[in-house]
Amino acid sequence: MADGPLIVQSDKSLLLEVDHPLSGDARRAIAPFAELERAPEHVHTYRLTPLGLWNARAAGHDAEQVVNVLLQYSRYPVPHALLVDVAETMSRYGRLQLVAHPTHGLVLQATDKAVLAEVLKSKRTAGLVGERLGDDSVVVHPSERGHLKQVLLKLGWPAEDLAGYVDGEKHPIDLSPTDPAHEDKPWAMRPYQQQAVDGFWHGGSGVVVLPCGAGKTIVGAGAMAKSGTTTLILVTNTVSARQWRDELVRRTTLTEDEIGEYSGARKEIKPVTIATYQVLTTKRKGVYTHLELLDARDWGLVVYDEVHLLPAPIFRMTADLQARRRLGLTATLVREDGREDEVFSLIGPKRYDAPWKDIEAQGYIAPADCVEVRLTLPDRDRMAYATAEPEDKYRLAATAPGKNRVVEQIAAAHPDDQVLVIGQYLDQLEELGEHLDAPVITGATTVRERQRLFEAFRSGEINRLVVSKVANFSIDLPEASVAIQVSGSFGSRQEEAQRLGRIMRPKQDGRTAHFYAVVSRDTVDQDFAAHRQRFLAEQGYAYRIVDAEDLDVVQ
Amino acid sequence: MQRPDLATPSPSTLRSLAARATSRTSLDRAVARLDALELQVLDSVLVLGDQPSAPAAPRAPVTIDRLLTALATEPADAPLVRAAVAHLLEGALLWDRGTSDSSDPSAATDLAVAPGLSEVLGPYPAGLGPADPSSPLDHAPSGPSPVDAATALEALLTDAPPGARSILDALTWGPPVGVAPRADPVGREAATWLLRHRLLLASDERHVVLPREVALALRGGRTHASTAAHPPQPDAPHFAEDTITAEAARAAQDAVRLVAHLLALWQASPPSVLRAGGLGVRDLRRLATTLEVDEPTAAFVAELALATGLVVDDGEDPPSFTVTLAGEDWLDLPLASRWAALAAAWAASGRTPWTIGSRDERGTLRAALEPDLSRPWVPRLRFDLLSALADRPGQALGPADLLEVLRWGSPRATPPAQAVEGLVREAALLGVTGVGALAPTGRALLLPVPDGAVSAPETALVHALESVLPPEVDELLVQGDLTGIVPGRPSGALERLLEDAADVESRGAAITVRFTPESLTRAFDAGRSAEDLLTELAAHSRTPLPQPLDYLVRDTARRHGRLRVGTASSYVRAEDPALLTGLVEDPALRHLALFRVAPTVLAALVPAATLQAALRDRGLASMVEGPDGRVVRTERVRSTVRSRVGGRRPLDTATRGRSAVVPGTAARDVAALDTTARRERYAELVPRLRAADDAALAAPPASASREAAPPVPRGTTEPPAALGLLRDAIDAGDHVVLETIDPTGQPTRRRVKPLVLEGGRLRALDPARDAELTVAVHRIAGVFTDVPAPTVVQDDTSDVASTDASAGAPND
Repeated sequence: MADGPLIVQSDKSLLLEVDHPLSGDARRAIAPFAELERAPEHVHTYRLTPLGLWNARAAGHDAEQVVNVLLQYSRYPVPHALLVDVAETMSRYGRLQLVAHPTHGLVLQATDKAVLAEVLKSKRTAGLVGERLGDDSVVVHPSERGHLKQVLLKLGWPAEDLAGYVDGEKHPIDLSPTDPAHEDKPWAMRPYQQQAVDGFWHGGSGVVVLPCGAGKTIVGAGAMAKSGTTTLILVTNTVSARQWRDELVRRTTLTEDEIGEYSGARKEIKPVTIATYQVLTTKRKGVYTHLELLDARDWGLVVYDEVHLLPAPIFRMTADLQARRRLGLTATLVREDGREDEVFSLIGPKRYDAPWKDIEAQGYIAPADCVEVRLTLPDRDRMAYATAEPEDKYRLAATAPGKNRVVEQIAAAHPDDQVLVIGQYLDQLEELGEHLDAPVITGATTVRERQRLFEAFRSGEINRLVVSKVANFSIDLPEASVAIQVSGSFGSRQEEAQRLGRIMRPKQDGRTAHFYAVVSRDTVDQDFAAHRQRFLAEQGYAYRIVDAEDLDVVQ
Repeated sequence: MQRPDLATPSPSTLRSLAARATSRTSLDRAVARLDALELQVLDSVLVLGDQPSAPAAPRAPVTIDRLLTALATEPADAPLVRAAVAHLLEGALLWDRGTSDSSDPSAATDLAVAPGLSEVLGPYPAGLGPADPSSPLDHAPSGPSPVDAATALEALLTDAPPGARSILDALTWGPPVGVAPRADPVGREAATWLLRHRLLLASDERHVVLPREVALALRGGRTHASTAAHPPQPDAPHFAEDTITAEAARAAQDAVRLVAHLLALWQASPPSVLRAGGLGVRDLRRLATTLEVDEPTAAFVAELALATGLVVDDGEDPPSFTVTLAGEDWLDLPLASRWAALAAAWAASGRTPWTIGSRDERGTLRAALEPDLSRPWVPRLRFDLLSALADRPGQALGPADLLEVLRWGSPRATPPAQAVEGLVREAALLGVTGVGALAPTGRALLLPVPDGAVSAPETALVHALESVLPPEVDELLVQGDLTGIVPGRPSGALERLLEDAADVESRGAAITVRFTPESLTRAFDAGRSAEDLLTELAAHSRTPLPQPLDYLVRDTARRHGRLRVGTASSYVRAEDPALLTGLVEDPALRHLALFRVAPTVLAALVPAATLQAALRDRGLASMVEGPDGRVVRTERVRSTVRSRVGGRRPLDTATRGRSAVVPGTAARDVAALDTTARRERYAELVPRLRAADDAALAAPPASASREAAPPVPRGTTEPPAALGLLRDAIDAGDHVVLETIDPTGQPTRRRVKPLVLEGGRLRALDPARDAELTVAVHRIAGVFTDVPAPTVVQDDTSDVASTDASAGAPND
């Protein structure tokens, strides 16, 4: 196409011009095989990765389709080498297959004997496979199914998993037609939620990426309803576990009695069990004491909430769960440890991903205005900063006393909003709490107290709340519309995004949410802030930068 | 015309011309340029023109028709054969012995190969063995009917044992020599039978050869199974024209960018030239890393720059590769002109970059940019390659395909496969080909160069590249995440702007850049201001610049240049700014180049001592302070430096040992002692050196050290004199005292009897230890005539007596 919306670069990135009339078509066409990398305002960047291409193969697309899509929408001639590479990469998929053999159980079968010989020669597959059954197949230990798939992926010969899933123990779950929280009005899943559930179910296992506040829990509920089996839900903490339980009771036909909580406090195993990562990774005398939970029932579905936080031990446990359907949910699949690939290979490929701005445009999440407030430190503080030890510099810059005044100013500018102040350092938070005369929630606050304060905040009883990182994820505070971040864990991109997520529930009056990051100028605080903002900037949330001195001018 | 070698130098007579035309060398050269068809014709004519085996039979004339039959030419290809014959006649490789007018080749009545050509064509023309005069087949190639011979052969073969036919079949189309079967009884019997019937001849003990008559009978009277009238048509994929041009345009832009990058890199830090004249492996690797390409590509880029004359070995000491003025001018040209310059230079270049990294006959690594990487045949081969591609438009021939085509074109001179691969790669890198097929840019290179017009080919190249380049885009999409995208090929101005102010993240049909504080700092370093930069960016952007970018530019500008660095050698500090102002304004102090750094600090471009002296001269007493701000006494400054030079440093401990009241006293004492001793030694040394010098001037060199030696041999003998002494001693069988420097640098003396002095080594006998020793000449510090007794003084007289020279070298 002479004037298509897509530019195909030789480094395998695809640039999609958003304002082009055909951009929507092109986006849908490339979505199955290209990974969305950045989604700022004018040009979205997708990337062709082997993983993405193999996922497309797994979903039934072939190289010819991919090439045709590229040729169809590309503005300039597509680099020939790239087309060759796409065909070559996609042809690697499926030469090896994992199948359920009637007598030998799980078997790795090759349509290309040389490939099987190659992967079996590799040191990494040693111990994962058993006896050779002729020169085109080999027995696989069922417990190593996930591990083997992961290894094969790394070797560049991904196996097509045709061994299927265990059905799991049946347990009827349906979405409730009415919403008890909204005067029993009828409700239905939003279109993108439905697409996400369908995408997941069609693919078997995988990860669904939706912005904060876009209703990931409902996608989980939808998947459970589709599965109709006993379900294990893994969440980050106890508060989140309770929110899941409440939401499931509200959205499905499940009753409180059918849902169990498996946490530090309670150890119930019910048809639907919600467990925390923490309890699963608890070790006693070098042994994971709660591992039997995974086998306590014949789970038909395992849901991983906030999959970007999945701790390493869970990765290993998940490797053993390959015969069960797995659903990963997250808003920000960026891991600071760079283990995104492992998430993909163990839980499954990304089955659904929507740019935040798209969901915002549909009105399902609140529009957000992101502002970085730059505070110039007084000379006294600058001197202290300049002479501080490198490891203390961030703390010193992030907790600069001047920030208190800035926070007060911002809070004062939003007298009628529910304001959340988020920070990293407890003494700073205590101080802010005093300044704003607001309660403070930290890791030391009891679960009961936390729930009471959150409830009060939700109901509007209090409209200022100072929280530490305990509120980073999974805390549902629908009416919070202003967040002020004073400090964070260094340059964590996903933390920034999650914190913004706290205020992105659509407001009843359609108000814009405001996210402020208060940053000390010319310090590492500023450098970290730039890094933290990267994810959101790439999602199209352009930060305005305002000098602290000009704050009153802005409002 | 076809054989230029015949006319250089101009032959004096026609006889000599003819002799030259039939000389082996000239024929070899001529045959090397023939294509497969022409060689077939020559072979065929040679065979057909041979005398019939039966002496009585008349020799039939070789006509075109017979030739066509012998070559088994398809009727459609006959004109090609005729053309080949005409070409060969013209080149005097075929002669027409007939009577007809030779200007019309098809009328030739009796063709024959040029005399001497049969040796050049080898012993088995057309894969046919030698003629056998006593062949049972009474058939000559000139005979009336080849059918008769075939029938006769068939008749003979009816009685043949099994296996005989398969032996003949194997040898029919050549080569006619085979290994006689031995182990296999059936085969052996068949071979024996064939030999008995003279259908095979034994060429030596182990080999058999198929006689020409039998082969021709088996071939049905033809010399070739088929005519190689057409060059091979390799089965290579075809590509659409716009794919080819797009790939070529992309490669061309990349090539220009890489060369520009190289020039920028070498402008900043020119790499040094190896002694053999090439670029060091490490420099090449660094280049490859910076350009983000592999080493062969980097080598090609460097070679391209050299061939275009953009960089040159500057011949300085030490030599380095520097960017030429032409290179600097080149950087300012528009893209297409830049490329045209590169392409034109490439087309004419005889460089062989593909050999870089391999080893030559002597086992040394061939380096990039080495002077002897040029081969005269490269431009010709390149032209042949591009022509071969041009003959097959849209087809992507790989190196193997091209080699096959070239082999048809000149079977007797096949180009090296490595060179073909190398040139194909270069053509792709330069954008002369796209996806392996010839692009319009490459076609422009094949255009004939008009005489006299130097710039004409380049103009054609410029147009060719301009025709394939995608349209320029002058628009930059700037985004809130501080990235920018040019959705196409950036215009010159935009490209320069982005080069200055942003980091490129992805390159291809479009360019993605990111603005970072570092990249903006680069732009400010290059002299742009924040306002300039914002205005320029805004001019290229359709939408208003995002606020974060605006802020980033201003914020970086604010921080840019906050730290200032300058050069000064010393400074003057005073609490009173007025005093300092006086100094700056003082005309008598102008030579100090004083300038004000801060109200209370002046800097100067002269050393501290000079500054202090100058101030003292003006009547301004100053004190010298150390880096810690403490006052140091002037003497101490001097002595510290000296003691450091002397390598003995009790200074620190001494200073620390004493109180800080009189810093540096001990050090000064030590240093002073040191200085005194040294001064004495110097005082002693100087006249001695002078005297030795005078003596050397006055006396013949050989005896110089004899004079200097006794009674206490001092100083070092001049090397030539020392060698002279050694030679004398060897001749006379004398002993000498040899002073050598041992590996630790200590001089040692021993009395030896020199034996041989050669190859930079002295072999000598040490009588004290009765051992032979070998000393490298450069370790010999001095040679003194024999001093047998341990007391040196006694020998004084004898030594003087033994020499005639009495220049009276004084010893003090």
